[in-house]
Amino acid sequence: MTKAIQIDNFSYSYPDGTTALREITLSIEHGRRVALIGPNGAGKSTLLLAMAGFIRGTGKVIIDGLDTAGNLKQVRSAIGCCLENPEDQLFMPTLFDDVAFGPLNMGLDPSQVKERVALALARVGLAAMAQRPPHHLSAGQKRAAAIATVLSMSPKIITLDEPDGSLDPRNRNNLVNLLTALSQTLVIATCSMDFAAAVADTAAVMDAGRVVAVGPAEQIMSDAKLMTSHGLEVPRKFINGR
Amino acid sequence: MDACIAFAQKAVKMHHAYIDKFAYQDSPIHRLDARVKFIVTIVFTAVVISLPRTSVSILFCYAVGPFAVLVLGGVPIGFVLKHILFVSPFVLVLALTGPLYDKTAATVAFGPWAWQTTVGWLCCWGIAGKFVVTMLALIALVSTTRFEDLLAGLQRLGFPKLLVIQLSFLYRYIFLLIDSAQHILRARAARAVGRIGFRAGIRFAAAMLGSLLVRSVDTAERVNTAMRARGFDGNWRTINRLAVRGRDYVFVSAAAGFIFGLYLFVRPMLR
Repeated sequence: MTKAIQIDNFSYSYPDGTTALREITLSIEHGRRVALIGPNGAGKSTLLLAMAGFIRGTGKVIIDGLDTAGNLKQVRSAIGCCLENPEDQLFMPTLFDDVAFGPLNMGLDPSQVKERVALALARVGLAAMAQRPPHHLSAGQKRAAAIATVLSMSPKIITLDEPDGSLDPRNRNNLVNLLTALSQTLVIATCSMDFAAAVADTAAVMDAGRVVAVGPAEQIMSDAKLMTSHGLEVPRKFINGR
Repeated sequence: MDACIAFAQKAVKMHHAYIDKFAYQDSPIHRLDARVKFIVTIVFTAVVISLPRTSVSILFCYAVGPFAVLVLGGVPIGFVLKHILFVSPFVLVLALTGPLYDKTAATVAFGPWAWQTTVGWLCCWGIAGKFVVTMLALIALVSTTRFEDLLAGLQRLGFPKLLVIQLSFLYRYIFLLIDSAQHILRARAARAVGRIGFRAGIRFAAAMLGSLLVRSVDTAERVNTAMRARGFDGNWRTINRLAVRGRDYVFVSAAAGFIFGLYLFVRPMLR
């Protein structure tokens, strides 16, 4: 069976020569919720961009059996990207238009698009907000709306870049509930260890452009030596076996 | 320079909540098709602008139309006047040049009263009057029509797609730009002690504009990434949700009757 994501020996440098990703090898099964954890500048966001084919480096990135080099349209139907700032994700005049943007580009007819938009908005609890402009939404609603823009495309894999950023505890809990209820493969880049521990079943530690450890979330994130040596901390959930 | 910065701070405080807050109300005017309201506003504006420069009293009659729309739409007149005042300096400068250039004597009669003035002053009042009446119409349009409906209407009316897309992004991101400017001004205010000199003020303004430009470019790149991630291939696809109904025909008939009826009524006086 094909893997959701298969990355083999992938390296990437920015145009100024700075190496962002070094010989990344990572394999993610379908249905997993993977936390990409690491300090600032570890290369987490860049790796997410590589998964969606936005950057080209050396090595292979295979998404649901498709090589990102040469199959961009199919790859981007299989993988949905939630960017770090929901303001960048929500660029249409209304929430409905934003959530409909992807399905319309997939060539679906208007009745199918409306159905998908209604389902996606209901899923994130924003069904009543469909005709609101994005700038009228709160930070938590914008984050949920950004996820709805991806859900409406029914991707098999969803990548989320720092989805818990600037959320209050209630909205963070709502987001945790939403993400853990999704059936898709999730890859979540985050600096928040508590959030990662609440959502993920698998963790991959990144530092200085490398993946330094991959394994079950509890095993990886409760390893105090590993976590602190890479500028991270053990989440409260895994301290003293709580 | 401090006064300029205070004006800039006041300007950026015009947050989206103040610009389009009445467009989301519900009223008979709000329920009209965006295309119909747009066309009526354009025709109304063209007729008002085409009136002779000195026909000040007729402008008062024309003001009744947009005023009625604003009242029916539940838009507070104080809100409208505030917005007209906000942009009035640009037009008033132009209007006030009239009395300087044309000093031909003219007599103004109003019922039993008559007084002497100059054609320049009549032109000045004419320009100011046209500005106020057309602004009333424009504010009536944007305060009773959701911007997304207006954009959809423009697209259906055959406006260039690129222009509609640019307007859509402008509407979406102007508020973020205003917020960014507000944050920069606040950061400056937090660190400014005492009066700032003219040169330092200019340097600050240039740095702020540069920073806003760089942020805009960065945002544009990230938005482009978000669009491509959702399958954007250069073709702008939307769902049409506009429909012309019976009430739109009634509105068009009433508006046409008012605009052209009034024009025919006052035409003998314009000669």
